[in-house]
Amino acid sequence: MMRRSKMFCPIYKWKISQAMDSGKTISSNVHKHMRRCDSCREYAELCTSLKPKFTQDKQAILEDFDESLNKKIMMAIPERAELRTEPRRRTLALIPSLAAAITVLVISVSIIFLSLPRSKQTPPLGPISTLIRAASPENVLLKVESPLENEYTELKRAFESTSKFLISSFDFRIGQQAK
Amino acid sequence: MSNISAVKQLSDEELASKVASGSQSSFEELVSRYSSRLFYFLRHRFKTDQDIEDLIQETFLKAFRNIDRFNPELKFSTWLYTIAIRQAISRFRSEKKRSTSIDPSPSPPDPQEIVIQKEESQNIWHLASKLGERQYEALWLHYGEDMPIKEMAKILNKKPITVRVLLHRARLNLGKRMDLPIASGKIAGTTPAAHKFSFL
Repeated sequence: MMRRSKMFCPIYKWKISQAMDSGKTISSNVHKHMRRCDSCREYAELCTSLKPKFTQDKQAILEDFDESLNKKIMMAIPERAELRTEPRRRTLALIPSLAAAITVLVISVSIIFLSLPRSKQTPPLGPISTLIRAASPENVLLKVESPLENEYTELKRAFESTSKFLISSFDFRIGQQAK
Repeated sequence: MSNISAVKQLSDEELASKVASGSQSSFEELVSRYSSRLFYFLRHRFKTDQDIEDLIQETFLKAFRNIDRFNPELKFSTWLYTIAIRQAISRFRSEKKRSTSIDPSPSPPDPQEIVIQKEESQNIWHLASKLGERQYEALWLHYGEDMPIKEMAKILNKKPITVRVLLHRARLNLGKRMDLPIASGKIAGTTPAAHKFSFL
């Protein structure tokens, strides 16, 4: 029976460790085992005594520490100015990646725009779109008088007035003789 | 003078924020708080004190340069220890590549050294330093820095369960070294669980 309980000691010790690390209490079955197992009881005692012992002895070793190292470290620390250049350098380093990201975004948006199926029927025009249409460059150009047309109108007018003058001077009448 | 005492009252995280806004005295305070702690944390990884000092210097330099990246909502100690351990690992790797020389044979210790060693051996940290590097570091973070398992896992770059096992094995081995009856019989290394975690 005793031998059998010893067989499970590593498991009980693991359970004791778990309880120590998680800050929970040791379970009743581990307590039951500890009552008859010296090894596990000693281990549990060791675990509880370790924290104060380590803390106390840490103070002792830290007191013996040579403080000259601190001065050495402080001497090795560069000027603040050098530190301040760091974030700027990092920002500058971000610029190419930012530009690349924008380019990719633009390309992908245009690809999506081009690949989207569009309906052949144009949607009905609203009043604003009618105005926009009227203000389109083609319509505006049509309304502007071209110089050739002006010339043509002028010539036409001159021809008409000449013909009227000639008619009145010779006084043509169809079927009658001139006086 | 009042400025120095005011700095001493601030928490590590507050000091780090002040360093980020340009306070040299705050940084000095952080160095004085952490240099010795880092020294004892790292001493297992290096052969000479000079190596450890160099590494601590590098750690603080890195922390100083990147202090504006530190999030004051997190613990400063976790951040600094993570930097230290990463620096130690990268240094160890680069030294491993370079080292080809054979270590000189150790000289016999002089009597004064023996007395110091005897006094030191009564310190539990001295006993802990005889454990494996990882077990010692786990003990330092847990008992020396009072860190929870989660933060230790972050620093040591391991899963929380691995850290728990490390601590457990460290305690068992410590008990062995303290000549406690827990070392009697086959405690560590014979159980299926021990086989499972034999990589530690």
